[in-house]
Amino acid sequence: MTKRWTLPILLVVIAMIATACGDSDESTTTTAAPSGTATTVSLAPGETQPPATTAAPAEPITVRAAITGGEDTINPYTYISGFPGWNLLMMQYDSLMQLDADGIPQPWLADSVTANEDLTQYTMTIVDGATWHDGMPLTVNDVKFTFDYFIENATGRFSRDLRGVESVEVSADGALVVDLAAPNPAFDLVALADIPILPQHVWEGIATPGEQTFDISTNVGSGPFMLTDFQEDQSYRFKANPDYFRGTPAIDELVVIVFADDSGALAAIRSGEVDVIFERVSPEQIELLDAQDPLDISQGPEFTTQMINFDASKAPFDDLAVRQAIELAVDKQDIVDTVFLGAATVGSPGWVHPDKPAYNPEVVPVFDPAAANALLDDAGYADSDGDGIREFDGQPMQFEMLTNSSDSLRLRIAELVSEMLADVGIGVTVASVETATWEEAVWPGFDISNGRNYDIAAWGWSAPVQANTIRIAELVNGDPGVGFLNLTGFANDDVDRVSAALLTEADPAASQALIDELQVLIAENVPFVLLAYPDGAYVYNSDVYADWEFIAGQGIVSKVSLLAPGDRP
Amino acid sequence: MRRLGQRLNQYLVVFVVAVSLNFMLPRLMPGNPLALLAGVDVGLMTPEQRAEVIEQVGLNAPLFDQFVDYWKAVLTGDLGFSFRSGRPISEMIGERLPWTLLITGASLLLSAVIGIVVGSFSAWKRGKKSDLTLLTGMISLQSLPSFWLGMLLISVFAVQLGWLPSFGAVTPASDLTGWANVRDIAEHAVLPIVTLTVLSIPGVYMTMRYSMLEVLGDDFIRTARAKGASETRVLFGHVARNAIAPVVTFLAIRFAFAFGGSVIIETVFSYPGLGRLVFESVSGRDYPVMQAAFLVFTVAVLLANLLADLLYPLLDPRMREA
Repeated sequence: MTKRWTLPILLVVIAMIATACGDSDESTTTTAAPSGTATTVSLAPGETQPPATTAAPAEPITVRAAITGGEDTINPYTYISGFPGWNLLMMQYDSLMQLDADGIPQPWLADSVTANEDLTQYTMTIVDGATWHDGMPLTVNDVKFTFDYFIENATGRFSRDLRGVESVEVSADGALVVDLAAPNPAFDLVALADIPILPQHVWEGIATPGEQTFDISTNVGSGPFMLTDFQEDQSYRFKANPDYFRGTPAIDELVVIVFADDSGALAAIRSGEVDVIFERVSPEQIELLDAQDPLDISQGPEFTTQMINFDASKAPFDDLAVRQAIELAVDKQDIVDTVFLGAATVGSPGWVHPDKPAYNPEVVPVFDPAAANALLDDAGYADSDGDGIREFDGQPMQFEMLTNSSDSLRLRIAELVSEMLADVGIGVTVASVETATWEEAVWPGFDISNGRNYDIAAWGWSAPVQANTIRIAELVNGDPGVGFLNLTGFANDDVDRVSAALLTEADPAASQALIDELQVLIAENVPFVLLAYPDGAYVYNSDVYADWEFIAGQGIVSKVSLLAPGDRP
Repeated sequence: MRRLGQRLNQYLVVFVVAVSLNFMLPRLMPGNPLALLAGVDVGLMTPEQRAEVIEQVGLNAPLFDQFVDYWKAVLTGDLGFSFRSGRPISEMIGERLPWTLLITGASLLLSAVIGIVVGSFSAWKRGKKSDLTLLTGMISLQSLPSFWLGMLLISVFAVQLGWLPSFGAVTPASDLTGWANVRDIAEHAVLPIVTLTVLSIPGVYMTMRYSMLEVLGDDFIRTARAKGASETRVLFGHVARNAIAPVVTFLAIRFAFAFGGSVIIETVFSYPGLGRLVFESVSGRDYPVMQAAFLVFTVAVLLANLLADLLYPLLDPRMREA
């Protein structure tokens, strides 16, 4: 019987393998390289790549990086996530300015950036010698085209960066002059260091990018890497651009591998199948991975946040006493120690990260459950039936705290917070739901004018919201046009006045005074509770490549990490 | 033939209901495809920009109109375009399907062979120590969670021993061709296939063992023995042959469900098959891809059932109509 089965099984398996092979061969040929560059470097196995620099005939370096979840074709209209999608986008493209290791924008494609006194006009000259991946020179006309294109053809991020731009002109001496409708002190950070400059000769033929299906042939940038192959949900292959205007990159090839979840990526770095993980590793993994040779950890402060949101537009959270009591009842140091094993910074009640120059040192977190209980007692929230839970409006103060199941640390935070709140008579049950469900409850349709469908939620913002201190206004202002990230429905006249003034203040000293005042106001009025700013920790194989640059607040995933040290900003 | 006609009618009803449900499921789920359509920066968009995005993909149309369009698309075989990549879904499924067929097909065949052989053996030795040991072992195997088994195999064979790759279907950016490529694909498929095989052996084993036990009690077996046939001849020539029908039915249905089971395995192994496509599309609420993938699953389950219905009378003459 076994003999009768053997042959058919073999045949079917071989047929299946053949089908699968045929398929993969086909998809490799259909996603051909965009600019002809790939054909010159396409290598048979065993063949060695010509040395990138003449200095030393070193082995070509390939870095294999893991990410979780695909990023589509990674052009400005198709990348999916802010991190690491934007970071991978910027491997191929350049912005006019580039963040240095301290997170400060420095001239990059622009070799000088000057602003007028009231910060309504920025003037830039463009470096000589930058070229596109197809060999065409990069000129000031490309920059003007890019700004106009993003203003005309909306993307979420870059078009928003450019709101308030009144005109973009090229002056007689070849400089780019950008006029703004109102002073914008953060224009260098939010726009000039953020927007990828596009080649006019490639993009002017694309009339409506929103309706276009892209393959990688449009990925012609000026950056240190060129995308030469893309397999959906499998991998991206970037070749170094030997003609990069800052100098040849330090590695020859970057292969980005798409994992379905983070445990797969961790297994792969431990087995030596990848050389770096572009997502942060969780605190309990840091020591374990660092102990394994040749793995190392790059760690530093980052600007993502872990916080508690509540619907401040309805009872009982519309009562300042309740919000203040929650702030006092939560032991943030305990969360940093227990959940993050110390690899985080305790949250400031004024939102601004203590490592930032804009931080107001007078604003410090206070943990005082006795004071919290006293506040609630004084405000009349008594536990009349003796079940350990206070009442408001005749109902128990018993709430569901939503958290997203994909973030296990946030789930642990939510559990700790629920225990802390129980100590002051507020009952909280943690509900862990899938990410899209959680988002839809806290931020329905990603538009705060749709209201809120939650009582309490564990929440967090990505790094860009913290990176630009002025964006504090977007979080707390009661006018939905200004405070479009105000997810808690918080409203306070003083906060509105100061935050609105902050957005247009051109004078740096006056701006800092407003930020200081706003931090005090936020700490007093508690629009949300900031628990912690988790550190970034990234694991890499130091035998393959070790020169990762940790940009303060941003982590290691940027083109800066992959340039020779002398070519960095 | 009349019976077949009735069966087909039943299948038609099930198909209509299932396919309609496929349309409703994504829309009944909480959550919003906007994040996928507009990227993570969706919060930075103005309400007008958001409305434009929704309009571009036709989600602003009344639900009933969307439903009618959906059915038109199903009947014309037009699966539409992905929200995420804008690519034709038929093309995406075409890329993914061979990978899923490779690992589910290979594991089904392996588990069929192993399950049938071991199941026959177990039934033959019924009540003896070897039978009871096997039975206990199989019940334990059946209770293993699939993701746990997958992670265990990765940890042992990829991380500790380094014998096999831990993820993917091919080595990324390796430029392999010819036999080296076939070998690479085979190496990548080993762990997913082993995981799926181990998980589906117990079902085949149980069905085979039970079916054998029934047949073993029949008169014709006693006759075969009485006329002096060898034990092997009785086992394979008489018992196994008559006991196989329920196993074939089981396998046909199992194959269809293996498609669904591949969601977890393909996620654990980051394997680029249909299951992974479902995982990614559900995470991002890519409605058209979800609908199309569910449609493929629906059709697979129905076809497998139909196949089992048609095969059964061929294997078991008692089921043939007079």
